[in-house]
Parts: sequence; C-alpha cells; structure tokens
Amino acid sequence: MICLFSKAQVKKYNYSEESRVYQQVADITISTNSDGIKKLSDLYSESPLIIAFVYTRCIGICNPFLAELSQNISLSGTDAKQHYKVLVLSFDTSDRVEDMNKLAARFNFENNKHWIFATTQQADILNKSVGFNPIWDGSRMQFDHEALLVGINQYGYVVKKLTGLRNPDDISLLLRELNGVFVASYQLPGNNSLLSCFTYNPATGERKISLGLLLLIAPFVFSLVIVFIMAIIMNRRLKNTAVPHHYAGT
Amino acid sequence: MNNILKLKKITSAWILAILLLFVLAISFGITMRFNQANDIKLSPVTFYSLMTTHGVTMVGIWVVAGMMAVNYLLSRYVKVSNGLNLFAMALTVIGVVMLWLTTFVGHYHTGWTFLYPLPFYTAWEKWATPVFLLSLGVLGIGWFVWSVGMLWQILKRYSLPQAFAWQHFKKGHTVETPPFILITTVTLVGVIACLLTAVLLLILYFAEYFSKGTFTNDALLMKNLTYFFGHTIINEALYLGVATLYELLPEVSGRPKFKMTWYVAVAWNCTLLFVLTAFFHHLYMDFAQPQSFQIIGQVASYFASLPSASVTAFSVIVLIYKNPVKWSLTNLLFVVGVAGWLIGGIGAVIDATISNNFVLHNTLWVPAHFHTYNAMGNVLFSLAFFNWAAKDFQGIASPLRYDKTKIFWLMVGGFGFVLMFYIGGAYSIPRRYAEYPNEFTNAKLLASAGAWFAIIYLWAIIVILFNIVMKCIKMFSVSE
Repeated sequence: MICLFSKAQVKKYNYSEESRVYQQVADITISTNSDGIKKLSDLYSESPLIIAFVYTRCIGICNPFLAELSQNISLSGTDAKQHYKVLVLSFDTSDRVEDMNKLAARFNFENNKHWIFATTQQADILNKSVGFNPIWDGSRMQFDHEALLVGINQYGYVVKKLTGLRNPDDISLLLRELNGVFVASYQLPGNNSLLSCFTYNPATGERKISLGLLLLIAPFVFSLVIVFIMAIIMNRRLKNTAVPHHYAGT
Repeated sequence: MNNILKLKKITSAWILAILLLFVLAISFGITMRFNQANDIKLSPVTFYSLMTTHGVTMVGIWVVAGMMAVNYLLSRYVKVSNGLNLFAMALTVIGVVMLWLTTFVGHYHTGWTFLYPLPFYTAWEKWATPVFLLSLGVLGIGWFVWSVGMLWQILKRYSLPQAFAWQHFKKGHTVETPPFILITTVTLVGVIACLLTAVLLLILYFAEYFSKGTFTNDALLMKNLTYFFGHTIINEALYLGVATLYELLPEVSGRPKFKMTWYVAVAWNCTLLFVLTAFFHHLYMDFAQPQSFQIIGQVASYFASLPSASVTAFSVIVLIYKNPVKWSLTNLLFVVGVAGWLIGGIGAVIDATISNNFVLHNTLWVPAHFHTYNAMGNVLFSLAFFNWAAKDFQGIASPLRYDKTKIFWLMVGGFGFVLMFYIGGAYSIPRRYAEYPNEFTNAKLLASAGAWFAIIYLWAIIVILFNIVMKCIKMFSVSE
C-alpha cells in the first residue's frame, strides 16, 4: 500500500557516486612513473589520494577530463595545509609506464610531486572495490566508461566519488573532505527511495514538500481521531449520568 | 479477590520489576562511565550493547512506571481495568526479554535511537535486527492498548472538554476538573500519538527489511519519525510523573488539594501541542530539513517546557512556602524531583537554542540535561509514588528519622553525577564514545568521577528502595 501510494514520486536517478562509499579500497600493486612498483597503500598512507581513471588510447573523455581536473585543482583554492596526491591510473592493462609518462609530459606533470601516473595489472580488482565499471567496445576499440574521480583517505577508505567533469567547488569539497574537514552531505533519493520528505529538482534547486512529510502529521491526526471517536461514544452515556462537580478522593 | 486488592498486587509486581531493571540499568551506566574513564576495559561491541540496553530499558521502565502510577491513582476517580494492566505487564515482560536477548546474545548495539539505516548494517547476529524491532513493537502494543483503555475510562466520566479542563478558560463554570485528570488526559493523548509514530516507524523498517532491496526508506523521514517517537515518549513519561505529583504532594504534605485554575489549564493544553513538535530540535544539524522546521523546533522547545514547569514550580512553592508541611520521604522526593526537572529543563532549553546547539550538539551536555530531568526528576517522582503506594498497600508509615540523610546522599550522588556530564559538555567532549582519545584531556577524569558519584546515587537508591521492596513483597501474601 505504501509502495503504491508513493510510486508517483519515484524518479529514475542513477547516482553511481553513492556506491562503495566508505568501503575499503583494494590494495593493488601499481607501476608508477616516479617511484617504480608500489602498493596503493604506500601512497594513501602518506597522504589522501584522488584516483583519476584514464587510459592512454582513449579518444573520448580522458584528456579533457585530466585537463579540467588540473585546472580545477588550481582554481579550487587549496592551501598548503591540504595534503593530497592525484594518482592518474590507467585501467587498460595494455598500457605501459612509458605511455603514462608521455601522458604526464603532455600535461607538464612529470616533476609535480602531487601528481603520479601509473599502470596496474590488477585493474579489475581495483575497479570492483571502488564501483567503477568500464565496458570494452570491440568495434570502436575503446572503453565505454565514465570520468571518475575517487577520493581515498589515509586509512584506505573511499570517502567520496565524483562522476563527470566537475567544477572547482566540487573539487574543493573533495579535497576538504579528504583532509578531514566536515563537509555537509546527504543521501540522495535512489530508484527505490520512496516516501521522501521533499522532492528535489537538481536543475532548479527547487525543493517541494512531499508525501513522506504527511506521515509526520498522521500519528497526531490519528490519535485525535481515536480520542474524538471515544468522546462521541461516551458523550451519549454522559448525557444520562450526573456530571461530577468535584472529585472524591478515596 | 476484590478489584482494589488485585490492583495493589499488580502494582506491587510492577514496582518490583521496575526497580530490579532500574538497578541493573544503572549498573550498566556505571560500567560504561568506568570504561570511558579507562578504569576497566570493555570491547566496543560490549560497550555499545550496554549503551543500547541502558537507554531502551531506562526509557521503557520510566514510561511504564508513570503509566502504572497514574493507573493506580485513576482508580480514585474512575474504574480502571486490571485486565489491561496485566496485559500491558505481560507484553512489557516479553518485550524486555526480547530486547535483552538481542543486545546480550545477539550483540545488537545501535543505541536506543536505532537511527536509520544503522539497524541494517548488521555488525551483530542477523536475527537481532528484526527481533529488536519486534521487541519495540511488542512493548508499544501493550502500552498503546493500556493508554487507550485509561483514556476510555476517563472519557466515561468526563466529557472531552471537561477532561481537557476547557471550562476553566471562562468564569462561572460549575464543573471542576482535577489537575490530575487534565495532566493524565493530555499526556495519554501524547503517548498514543508517539506510539502510533513508533508503529509507523516499525512498518517502514520492516517494509525495507522484507523488500530485499526493492524499497528504500528516506533517511530524513526516518530520523524525524524516530525522534517524534523517542523524544516525545520520554517527555510524556515525565508528565505522567508530574501528574502523580499534583495528586499526591498536597495530600502527603497535609495541605489542601491543588485546585484547577485557568492558567494551569492553559499551560497543560499548550504542553499537549508543543511537546509534539519540540523534537525538531534533534534535527538542527540536518541541513536538508527546511529552516522553518528548525525554528518551530526552537520555539516549541520553549513553549513545551516553560508553561508546565513554571506553573508546577509555582504551585509547589505556594504549597510549601511558610506553610506547615508534614515532611516525609514522599514529599521530599517530589520537591527534589521538581528541582531536578527544572535544572534539567533549563539545560534542555539551552541546548535547544539553535545558536547554542552549534556548540553543544552531541556533546556530553545532552546526556547531562536528560539525566538531570530523568534521574533527578522523573525517577524521583516515581520513587515518591512507590514509597507512597507501599505505605498505602499496608497503611504503615516509615519513620522519617533517616529520610533526610537518604535524600542528602541521593542529591550528592545524582547531582554530582550529572555535573560531570555538564562540565564535559562545556568542554565540548563528545558523547557516545566508548573510549576517549588523549586529546580530550579531561574526559577520562570526568567519566571516572561521574561513575563514583553514580555509585553514591545507586547506594542511596538501594537504601531508599529497601522498605518499598519489602512492603511490595509482603503485599503478595495479603488475602481478603
């Protein structure tokens, strides 16, 4: 009944940013352009880590994604107190460290201590642990994938995920959250999320009171109904009995 | 067996069960404070299981203590049902056994608030989540039926406007509503509303539990419903205690009974409305909640507590100030209880003010204020009733000789215990930590001091209880 009643307000959202958040990331082995072979935990135990998933044969989102990320980090107002490293990791197991070196050079990151370019043969394990699902398209010889940033804290937990090209404010929030600064967040309604208190329009930012909120009023209304029904029933009896003028304690 | 004798025996059984659970639940609390002090070492799971048991048990026993007390005193005005009384007791026993099984055998440890979606993140036996929710359902059904039954009996004798004392709003009325009847009616309506909220909450939890992922609840709605139920029921429990105060304090003090006045009627009618919306102050940190609700939360917090508390305090002062009062343990407990209620209430209003809540939210200030108006307020109202009832069962008064000493140590222990919480809150020490990191320099010392003060409180309680328990046990051997 509840499901049927509230079906009307269900919207089709796909917030993959919510999956695997606060879960442990797989501690895979990576080959880096600067320090050779390392475990992922070697990196995140030093400082919070942002993983950007790309591959060098990519003719789609990867390059604009990196360019945008580079620019947004510089615009995000990060100060020296905020520690972070960006791990640009290829999820294509055919990529070599040399390919990643060329990619780093293209963005002038070869000598930037905040940026690490790496490959891994354990991409599937990592992808699964962070909820990243690239699909190989054999006809185009390309991966169909989202532009994904994953924030990992110093204990190896996924703290935040950002999908798509994001503005400097979003990047700033990611960096702050990774550095332990409180960032307000709230669970967004999913496909199965019924009876919300409010419906939210992401395009306009408009928030409207919704069916769920009526449930807050319902118990009080029902209790009054119960009391009034009892009072009506009893009122008939009271009409025929003496009204107490004072109470008689025993 | 006549009805009155039966009522006395059932009430004796209630008192014994409540006192046993009370002593055990205090012991759990002391154990937790010693663990926070690092004086003993509990696993985090054991700590949070104890915290859950302590919270739900304390809330539960003082709700039923209040209901049992008003049920007993209602028999002065209307016929009360012993069958419903027994039914509520049976479901309460079953509910408590289920609850303790989930926490001690199933290691369930969400805290009494069981905030969504925590119950579904099973870090305990899988069966513990549904059994915990079911235990709340069993308790809720028993209390709901009992509340409706009591209200039914009140409305058999008083019309609805009379039960709410609306005739006192104007001059020239011929019917007087006893304050006890007004407060009981107002409170029972509130109890029914929050128990219905609990039913709704449990339906939503079980809908998600059995949906296998096809139905997800809204976190904000669930939090609103949880605090509607939880915050309201503990406040209503307090008001049930206040109802017994209005009925018994003048009587045991040898003073005329409280008369209904227009301002008492207005105050308690306001309380009915405002106490049901005050819970919004628990959601100040939930920025998704509209600002208007936050403002309602602050305003309702003031209006729910101030009229009833000030009218009661005024009435008690008028009753005892420069008047010959027959002091006994019962009225001493009532008067100290009013002080505890007021101090805790002021602490609550400070925390319910939005600008203060930014500093005090989820610090030890929160347990400070609710322990004050419960441990040093509502508990004392109920103990006063127990003491009076034990005497009423057998007509034998206890000597006053050591009563003032008992009260003195009760106050030292109780107020010392809550003072450690208040100081912790002022230092922004967070609550619900099993262990405090070294950064909170005063936390361990305060926890240790709090635990020792609580031991003094427990000792005073046990001394006070001794006579009550003996009289209640003897009650079972009384026959017609």
